[in-house]
Amino acid sequence: MKRIKKSGYTLLMNTIIFILGFPLIVLVIWSFTKRWPWPCMFPKAFGIRSFQYMISPGSNTLQVLIGSIWLSIVVTLITLLISIPAARALGIYHFKGKKLFKMAILAPIIVPPVATGMGIHVAFIKMGLVNTFMGVVLVHLIPCLPYGVRILTNTFEITGKSMEMQAKVLGASGLQAFFYITLPLIAPGLMAASSLVFIVSFSQYFLTFLIGGGNVITFSMMMFPYIQSGDRMMASAYSLVFVLTIFVLLIVMEKIVKRYYKTHNHFYI
Amino acid sequence: MKKTSYTLLVFILIFNLVGCGQQNMPVDESVLEADWEAITENVKGTTVNFYGWGGSERTNRWIDEYLKKRIQEEYHITLNRVPMDIDNILSKLLGEKQQNVEKGTIDIVWINGENFYTAKNNELLYGPFTEKLPNFNDYIDQDSVEVKTDFGFPIDGYEAPYGKAQFALVYDQERLDQAPKNHLELLEMAKDNPGKFTYPAPPDFTGSAFVRNVIYDIVGSEQFMDMEPNQEIVREAVQPAMDFLKRLKPYLWNQGKTYPATIAQLDNMYADNEVFNTMTYHPYAVAGRIATGTFSSGSQIFLFDKGTIGNTHFLAIPQNAPNKAGALAVINFILSPEAQASKYDPENWGDLSVLSFDQLSIEEKKRFEAIKIGEGVLPIEELLSHRVPEMPADLIPIIEDIWSENILKGE
Repeated sequence: MKRIKKSGYTLLMNTIIFILGFPLIVLVIWSFTKRWPWPCMFPKAFGIRSFQYMISPGSNTLQVLIGSIWLSIVVTLITLLISIPAARALGIYHFKGKKLFKMAILAPIIVPPVATGMGIHVAFIKMGLVNTFMGVVLVHLIPCLPYGVRILTNTFEITGKSMEMQAKVLGASGLQAFFYITLPLIAPGLMAASSLVFIVSFSQYFLTFLIGGGNVITFSMMMFPYIQSGDRMMASAYSLVFVLTIFVLLIVMEKIVKRYYKTHNHFYI
Repeated sequence: MKKTSYTLLVFILIFNLVGCGQQNMPVDESVLEADWEAITENVKGTTVNFYGWGGSERTNRWIDEYLKKRIQEEYHITLNRVPMDIDNILSKLLGEKQQNVEKGTIDIVWINGENFYTAKNNELLYGPFTEKLPNFNDYIDQDSVEVKTDFGFPIDGYEAPYGKAQFALVYDQERLDQAPKNHLELLEMAKDNPGKFTYPAPPDFTGSAFVRNVIYDIVGSEQFMDMEPNQEIVREAVQPAMDFLKRLKPYLWNQGKTYPATIAQLDNMYADNEVFNTMTYHPYAVAGRIATGTFSSGSQIFLFDKGTIGNTHFLAIPQNAPNKAGALAVINFILSPEAQASKYDPENWGDLSVLSFDQLSIEEKKRFEAIKIGEGVLPIEELLSHRVPEMPADLIPIIEDIWSENILKGE
């Protein structure tokens, strides 16, 4: 009985992994495929045109990729800096209108970015923030903050403040309690939040366009025209690099955080 | 739809902020008054930002690998290509104008048709500048309708021609014996191969051009050139063509119940052997597609005997361009026989040249004649002798509406 249950579980897990992974395999195949007409099971001709173009120095792909990663890392760090205190307040303290604040935090996800974007553009022109790196970072915070705050709020709700109070009872200062107790406790939540925020920032297209004005070019801005124009080889190759970049960065980040805090998902998830 | 909503939004914002600051932007005439030597001397070491559609790897590659290098050698200018859709460019320029930003970021815009109309009417463009360019004066036929007007709208020197496009249909010789020469043969072909022909639904740029080509083939093109943009008048004029498209509909892919939304989808359906035909605005790019292996080697373009629609794409300079002199130098270089020939070569891009062949020297002519046009295409003389002018821009949305009413929603 137990064995059947176990093999059923394995089957289910493998099916899920297959469903998630299969599109990626198609992406890999398409990025090397010149032509794949019906009714052929396998592509008729392979080529490396897409990757040749990507590594050609004229296309600037590598520089843009590094620039985008840097931009998204900056956005992630700032989002976390803002989210931690906000989430702590929402997760631990009780105050009037808390539910309202929790809802309002989600507003940027609910309201389409086109609607707010145009207004922000006008405001940023007045402040001289358009076409600058800082302006793009600021505008990325808008779609990123809701994710950061919501995930960390849940984390704080679970951890509570008892551990922190214990530390203070034992004589730790506020800062000490934060760095030695709170931070390691919320590390798994931080990891989840930063991964998601990084992905949200890395995939931004419209807002980067509007505020960056072409001075700040990100990887998704290079990729999108190919997807629109239906050049499947180029689109797949760019998407593949896009997905791999996120994947590698998330693994690296997880490794670093785990080593630093020697923490495991001890009491939740 | 997207474009309309953006434009609407922009206008709402403009009206909101009318009180905030209404000064006329100071017009920077100094560049246009300087002589050409002074302009080219002053642009050394500067950067020019070139904004335009970035969805074609071959187009991007031509700019990245050829144009950037030659501009650097010729004028010591660093050319920076920014891939941005024209909708986004226009909303950016409108936003900047509204705030009186005197120094924008865009030096050159790749533009034509209704977008040029919008930009010029909103005073977003700088000019008139074309008479300033030596190559424009030397090599371009100033009296040509295609140089003086863009989709029927007068250019007045506010944009310089960049390249020429011409509508053409594509068929696969391995699967079809013969290409149709007019709309009736097209219907026969569709009847013989039901479900193997379709066209992108207007307002897709190419699909809309296909509908206009059918209209031209049935009722002729002359009457549209000065037609009033009135729904009733246009409806009456195009009725025979709509009746024809209705007859064609049951033999289309998926019985005409659905259409590919974009030309990109139709191209992919053609590459996947799902349909026997596709269509294009860039006839020589088909040779490139065959060379890269995207299209089967039997692909061949064909035209209707009565001709197909041709139009021109252009380069303009925004009113708030930070480096207008640099932009002039770059555009002048693009109009040189050397750059136009390189752009015409299907190995590079395969875009038709805008230069007047008669105004070229013998050596320059040889440069063009030496280019192999590649597989699957027709000689340039054949294309140009079958070229008919584009309709005025304001008729196009009306025709698209009539199509969607009669064909898409109709029985």
